[in-house]
Amino acid sequence: MYASWLEFCSAIAVPELPKLRTSGFYVQVTMKLIDALKIISKKPRPNGNPLKASLVCGFTPLHLQTLLHAELQLRFPDRQVEIKTGLYGDIVGTLSGLRDSHQVDAVALVIEWEDLDARLGIRRLGGWDARNPGSVIEQARLYLSQLHVLLEELCRAAPIAVCLPTLPLPPFFSTAGWQSSAWEMKLKEELVSFASALSRQPRAQFVSEQRLAFLSPQAERLNVKTELEADFPYNLNHASAVAGLLSCLIQNPAPKKGLITDLDDTLWRGSAGEVGAQGVHWDLEHHSQSHGLYQQLLKTLSEEGALVAVASKNDKAAVESVFEREDLLLQKQKIFPLEVGWGSKAEAVLRILNVWNVGADSVVFVDDNPLELAEVQSQHPQAHCLQFPTNDPQAVYDLLASLRDLFGKSAISREDELRLESIRGNAAMREAAGETSNGFSETLLEQSEAELRFNLQKAADAGRALELINKTNQFNLNGRRVTEAEWQSYLQDDETFLLTAHYKDRFGALGKIAALAGRRKSSTITVEFWVMSCRAFSRRIEHQSLKFLFEKFGCGRVIFDYAQTPRNGPLRSFFAGLLKEPPTFGAASGLEITREQFAGACPKLFHHVVDLAYE
Amino acid sequence: MNDARERLVNCFAAVFPNLSEEEIQHATPDIVKDWDSVSNVILIGVIEEEFNTSIAIEDVEHLRTFELALHFLENKRVAAG
Repeated sequence: MYASWLEFCSAIAVPELPKLRTSGFYVQVTMKLIDALKIISKKPRPNGNPLKASLVCGFTPLHLQTLLHAELQLRFPDRQVEIKTGLYGDIVGTLSGLRDSHQVDAVALVIEWEDLDARLGIRRLGGWDARNPGSVIEQARLYLSQLHVLLEELCRAAPIAVCLPTLPLPPFFSTAGWQSSAWEMKLKEELVSFASALSRQPRAQFVSEQRLAFLSPQAERLNVKTELEADFPYNLNHASAVAGLLSCLIQNPAPKKGLITDLDDTLWRGSAGEVGAQGVHWDLEHHSQSHGLYQQLLKTLSEEGALVAVASKNDKAAVESVFEREDLLLQKQKIFPLEVGWGSKAEAVLRILNVWNVGADSVVFVDDNPLELAEVQSQHPQAHCLQFPTNDPQAVYDLLASLRDLFGKSAISREDELRLESIRGNAAMREAAGETSNGFSETLLEQSEAELRFNLQKAADAGRALELINKTNQFNLNGRRVTEAEWQSYLQDDETFLLTAHYKDRFGALGKIAALAGRRKSSTITVEFWVMSCRAFSRRIEHQSLKFLFEKFGCGRVIFDYAQTPRNGPLRSFFAGLLKEPPTFGAASGLEITREQFAGACPKLFHHVVDLAYE
Repeated sequence: MNDARERLVNCFAAVFPNLSEEEIQHATPDIVKDWDSVSNVILIGVIEEEFNTSIAIEDVEHLRTFELALHFLENKRVAAG
């Protein structure tokens, strides 16, 4: 437990913060106002791209503004966060202004009961009209329908993080405090109906009431004194919790890509090598239901596109026998690869990372043995290592909640469904060629029946392109991340273009795995974003993409807004191959590749290319 | 510097980051141009949190200068035993 927020921040690298705060650590850390002010007052990074967020609420934002500012600054350390607040007491007016201005990257909307009807607050004395509570419901319904229309329109300009009323209702209704009145439930029904309808918009996201209750018990939320004196109704701890969750929604941290699990006393209870396949359990009858719940979650994660692998010191035959059991919730086909043997776990994890072609920072490793965890953590310091608790169902349940946080995503895409299949395809492709390295032979590439489908229509794949830009590290032109609002604004510019690539071969489909975006100004093509999924490496997709660009735009050269990052080595190698020397870092005019340079260095390409413009 | 003084200096420094430690100890709303009603509410919030106390509206006038605030907090601590 840290004494202060800053002590906590200095004890960890700030970029690691989202990882920790979404893994059960959150509950132990509440930001203090004094620390928030210190974070905000730090000198901005020179040339830091601003992040403009708008905090919209009916009360004076005061400490909520300070805390949200600090939370966002921690989550976006490379950006200069600016928080704008709106018209006092006028949520509708503020949202209307934002809708028309198109000038914010994100909107945080905090609604309280008083906003739905002033009679539900404590600052205005107009009578609670106990004989006609229906008029409050009617007023709330009208207000929410107005809000709904506005928010649907505003969603097109910026993503919106919404916090529904968090404070207790005043003693307005006729029932005693221990009874929910029919009117109260009707009011909540109106609210849920509003939120449910709006949540169908992918760019409107709602703070989880359940998580908020966990962080900030309802009885400790309202501060009557500051509400009456300063129109600020929240206790500081509650304001901190609301700000933290809103910032999580705005940041939308990238989920982990894979989970590597141990088997004995983790995926199931018991040691398969000692007690045999029928001696291990994961059910109520054998007091081992926690292991069944863990299997159930891993199965779900796998179906949502997360990769699941096994690293176990175990007897292979015994493990195979367990996986033959039909009552196993996580079936063998959901797991790839299966590393079972007596060697080092850290080395098994390394082999898994190589098969998946992902960095250790993208994976979670779960094991019941602290020694194994320590070994893996020391060899893969960026991996997120979690201990599977022994004989502690509550702790296992908390672990499951942490895993949900680490792998949570707002929606499941077609690419998520293809991921495991494509990793298996990769392995099959290597196996077919008898290769173990990352490269494929000319013969294999020629015989793989690869098809690349290019799409230059901006609207078609904008969402997938944004997802790739914000999570790809290795083949990434400059490491630049963008918010959804920035991306929409970028694509609306007539000068910009977006090229996406969909790949499949005889080993399977990889889906939409690359995106390239830039500007076309007369005959000059400048590429500002170029990302490709690590699953698609070694297939010369990057060469074919550049060839397509030269041919499609008929240009003699392409300028790349290239920047070296700690992790974009694969892209650097690609450029070095074309330029016959490592690319220069930091050239003000960008990195230039001519058509002649490209033609002279491009290896033979075997893809069948489809231009979707002609489909 | 005693503990309460140091903690109060930290509170003022967080709300008025441009003031030196010396300036903080002589701070009054007349001298500090950023000391307006909003920053006063923020300052009270920071002090309440830092000293784990609640400051009533009628006591706010006791926090109109650094020295008055320090005196108020020390008296409050003594009164609380």
